[in-house]
Amino acid sequence: MLRGIRLLRFSNINKCQTSALAAVRHYASQPKRFYKQTNVLCTDTGYEVTLDHRKLKTPKGTLFTVKSEPLAIAVATEFDNQKEHIERSRMHISALCFTALDNPNNLTKLDMVNYLLNFMPTDTVLFQSEDETALQELQLNEWDPLINWFNKRFDTNLQKTMSITPPQVTDDDKIKIAKHFQSFSLDTLHGYIFAVDTLKSIVLACAVIEQQISVEKAVALSRLEEEYQLKFWGRVEWSHDLSQQDLQARLAASVLFVHFNCSEYLVQEKLIL
Amino acid sequence: MSGKRVLRSLLHELREAASNPDAIKNSLAARYILAQYKKFETTDQQLCKARNEAVFLGQTYLSYLSSQRKYNAIYKEYHSRGERSVKETADLVGFKLPTDPK
Repeated sequence: MLRGIRLLRFSNINKCQTSALAAVRHYASQPKRFYKQTNVLCTDTGYEVTLDHRKLKTPKGTLFTVKSEPLAIAVATEFDNQKEHIERSRMHISALCFTALDNPNNLTKLDMVNYLLNFMPTDTVLFQSEDETALQELQLNEWDPLINWFNKRFDTNLQKTMSITPPQVTDDDKIKIAKHFQSFSLDTLHGYIFAVDTLKSIVLACAVIEQQISVEKAVALSRLEEEYQLKFWGRVEWSHDLSQQDLQARLAASVLFVHFNCSEYLVQEKLIL
Repeated sequence: MSGKRVLRSLLHELREAASNPDAIKNSLAARYILAQYKKFETTDQQLCKARNEAVFLGQTYLSYLSSQRKYNAIYKEYHSRGERSVKETADLVGFKLPTDPK
């Protein structure tokens, strides 16, 4: 009797599972928006974000505090803009702040600078093609001025390559670039790495963070060959446009993050007598 | 883009993104941006930094908001919608059905 019930129950569960699997695919459900208002608090240690009466915490459970007011406001706005659910995967500014606060991979400054340096020889803008003249010309006109700017700015001598062999980066250049990145705080470097990962290029990331080009332009330059090929093969909205908008949002988030983190608002106002 | 246009577009995007578009006047971001604009009204070179720093940051935030909005729109249009009907597919590529009037 007991066994019979057990069997019955088992077969019931089985049936439920198979029918559910066939009908819909289950994603992990997103947390609901459990708050009405967001706000920013100014405390001795920095700025905190509140969701109603609760204080925002990072995924690791530490209290969310940032040094910069606009950054805290951007995070509060991002939480306020969530509709019914909190879509964490699209909140790039908050995600960057959380990563910098928690540092989940326990990265040190040296690790991060090394990561950036190892990226140098595989920088997108250093690999140019000579198979197609139109593309080559495009790269020459668009990428070369930025390589030149970078070399001038950091007093380096990066050379592009036209073949599959990676460009040689001398130790001297590496030391110069490492020195530049060492001067930033750990938080700022998180922003830099996010920008470099998005653009697949240090040259472009530095150019956009130092205000040489706009965010849209930087993303367009990093997708230069893709854009070129699109002219012949057609543009698919759910792939090309989606990735373009995603990259733009990610890059803009990291640029804002770097700027808010390394700018000290020392305003000296003119004396008006 | 000039400072004024950036401001107008920023406020527009904030309104688009907000969960409650009517309350935009009280939103922290809008108030902060307006305050910044007041502060740098005469020149945005008061900070001894690169030129046009304030406008650059404004443009960057603008592209953040607008890219996010466009991304969400494309995502909503295409993600896990299941199979389209014949009519929808025809609309997508600009064809008409045999039953449609010419």
